[in-house]
Amino acid sequence: MSKVFLGMSGGVDSSVSAILLKEQGYDVTGVYMKNWSRDLPGMHCPWADDLADAKRVAVNLDLNFEVWDFEQEYHNKVVDYMLSEFKAGHTPNPDVICNELIKFKLFYDRAMAQGADFIATGHYARTGVAENIINKQEVQLGDVISTSMEKERIVNVESSKNCQKRLKRGEARRAKGNTREDGLATGSLETNITTLNMGKSVLLRSADENKDQTYFLYRMSDEATAHTLFPVGNLTKPQVKQIASDHHLDVAHKKESMGICFVGEVGIKDFLKQYLPTTPGEIREQETDRILGYHDGAIFYTLGQRHGLYISGGLPYYVVGKDTKKNIVYVSKDLNHKNLWTDQITLENLHLRNNLTISNLSHFSNLTVRTRHRGELLPVEDGSIRQSSAKNLTFNLTKSTRAIAPGQSAVFYQGTICLGGGFII
Amino acid sequence: MIYLDHAAATPVTPKVLQAMTPYFSRDFFNPSSPYLPAKHVREAYNSAKNTIANAIGAKGNDLIITAGATESINLAFTAIPANLKDSTTVLTLSTEHPAVLAAAKQFSHKLIKVDHTGLINLPDFKAKLTDDVIFISIALANNELGTIQPLSEIAEIVRQTRQDRYKRGISTPLYLHSDASQALNLLDINVARLGIDLLTISAAKCGGPKGIGALYASHNLQLHPLIHGGGQEQGLRSGTENVPGVIGFATAVSEAKKHLAGNRKKYTSLKLTLKSALSELDSIIFLGNPKHQLANFLPISLPGLDAERLIYKLEQQEIYLSTGAACAANKGSKSHVLTAIGLSDEEISGSLRISLGSTNTPDQIIKAADIIKQTIIQEYARIGLANIYQDRLKEQLASCEEGEPCEDRRSTGSIETNISKTNTRRIL
Repeated sequence: MSKVFLGMSGGVDSSVSAILLKEQGYDVTGVYMKNWSRDLPGMHCPWADDLADAKRVAVNLDLNFEVWDFEQEYHNKVVDYMLSEFKAGHTPNPDVICNELIKFKLFYDRAMAQGADFIATGHYARTGVAENIINKQEVQLGDVISTSMEKERIVNVESSKNCQKRLKRGEARRAKGNTREDGLATGSLETNITTLNMGKSVLLRSADENKDQTYFLYRMSDEATAHTLFPVGNLTKPQVKQIASDHHLDVAHKKESMGICFVGEVGIKDFLKQYLPTTPGEIREQETDRILGYHDGAIFYTLGQRHGLYISGGLPYYVVGKDTKKNIVYVSKDLNHKNLWTDQITLENLHLRNNLTISNLSHFSNLTVRTRHRGELLPVEDGSIRQSSAKNLTFNLTKSTRAIAPGQSAVFYQGTICLGGGFII
Repeated sequence: MIYLDHAAATPVTPKVLQAMTPYFSRDFFNPSSPYLPAKHVREAYNSAKNTIANAIGAKGNDLIITAGATESINLAFTAIPANLKDSTTVLTLSTEHPAVLAAAKQFSHKLIKVDHTGLINLPDFKAKLTDDVIFISIALANNELGTIQPLSEIAEIVRQTRQDRYKRGISTPLYLHSDASQALNLLDINVARLGIDLLTISAAKCGGPKGIGALYASHNLQLHPLIHGGGQEQGLRSGTENVPGVIGFATAVSEAKKHLAGNRKKYTSLKLTLKSALSELDSIIFLGNPKHQLANFLPISLPGLDAERLIYKLEQQEIYLSTGAACAANKGSKSHVLTAIGLSDEEISGSLRISLGSTNTPDQIIKAADIIKQTIIQEYARIGLANIYQDRLKEQLASCEEGEPCEDRRSTGSIETNISKTNTRRIL
């Protein structure tokens, strides 16, 4: 019986994961990762309630249950990173770092050290194995064939007949102005992820495209990917809720925790104020340089943000820039302001999956990119991916998109396969 | 449902609810209003206060109505004059409720030791009762173990100390406060007879509503308000009176007094049934002091087990009980009470508090004993301790039969620290 350590947060997704893993016959140990327990002004940290919820589900399923305390590591690796990013004027995403360094690193390592065959989490994502399937008419390159809960199979079709058909279909679709969602309808067989990584584990978007969380997972290591189960990755959220209520889980209707691991998105400013000094500064209109009002610290503002500018009356203003050194926030009423739109993005601190290189990516076609969680999959201009400095990557979009705050991630996909990404400069 | 957590909360009895009901809508008047219907509410309120006061051998005017035991405790500490705050010391038991410990932390304070049953260590108390001590707070009965402290004896020591100080010309006053919130329905409390200065009581543990309590204060001390305003409760607790709460409190207290002996007998017998059934579990440790324990308390420990797991398992079978303190080892905070009586980590994380009450019947207890026993055996089996543990325990007991009377130590709530430590550590 394979031994699985399942991260249980007390939420419905990881609780249903526990049910599914048990039903599939795994030897499951539920683990509550204690990453954060501090209350902040106006914010009660619900960790103790979450722990009780997680433990109750585990005990009711007769699973082993443990609490692993990563609070110190979380503070050192995630909180400190977040604060230094904010100080630099960026808008970091702590979930991405938490997944990379805590859940799929510390948790993974400890589970493996304790004899795990797999770890599991309640994320909406899937893993798969890239493999050849010859002459199977009905399957297409990049299609995902569900074979078991453990691993999907990503098909690399090597039938030239199929390939021709597919290319034709792709052309026809393009003629109609459609882009195939899986992005793999066209393109050379030599330059796709499955060819390069035959037999290797890849990260895939979840079946429920609406809930897909690979945007937060793109930095998890290949090794961890090969040993991770995402039991709810093949299900839709309503199906997950149905399973929870079929099993009379108390958490079936629990309110979902939003945003980052430990504080809701609304709370981020209050959270930062606990750690970073607030220095009031000017809000200036970009076009006129006129002072419109005052803010309590430029670091609290994000490009494109329209709230919290303390400016009343008339059309809303948007943050179009900030000078963190001078502590000035620039705003504009113009939704079409050039700073708010972009068609070229540069990434730093890359994490490309499955040993891909920038050069590999530059030869891939029909890639898509996601610049925010649950954001639209934006088409990448074929061949535009290039090395822009020693370690950075620049690419173009086929059309302009709303600007993305520096520090957020951009994540590439070929079909449903997540190729990795980096932080936007 | 079998509810075995009456030390946490008790249901409001039908009689109490009935008494309270008119005061929510029909007799809703502010007792301070000048017209006749309001005056009648005032009279009912005062009469209820008298009822509560009489139940502890005091008068209505000696009581300050509060929003519960925690507020009463905090108010009691205001007896320490501000000008003496820096030069004096507070004494409490190491096993006190967090409300007392937190209040004491505002002052220079010392903790009095308890023995392994939770009983006050009197020599330690006397040693710590130096001339700088101004305030002593000792719960009548502990909320995790049910251990009843010898309050009369303590009060006598306090009285002698006062006299001694007077003779020696030391003017530092000495006040004795006791938190009796767990004991109101089980012990015959009389402040005059006990000889204490301050007493905290609460409605929530004896069939009354939550959010209502009282502090008895003798005339020889001066309290200071925590909540300022219109000057209600002799100026010590402002705010419009909680009339339905006080009516409910008074009704609950009268009922409790009336059935005091009967309840005690009933709970003692239910506890005996439960205890003898659970005694069949070789590894079980009964905590507290069987000779000085509230009749409805049965705190136990199953070393090596995780009490929270037992609670969730039992909750599935609609049996509700709790760990000694609401948050156990998982949250990183061990029960300070169980730590103070010297339990090992394994014994603490395996400890449960069973507290019986008005909702329980003999049939329920027989059924509960059976389910609890089965659940415990299953959990021991799950972690592979079922036989090994019990065998080892027997070995240990056999080997010390010649010398120390191990069985006796067990039944008086002593801790076999060594046994459980060696067993659980080696096996886990």
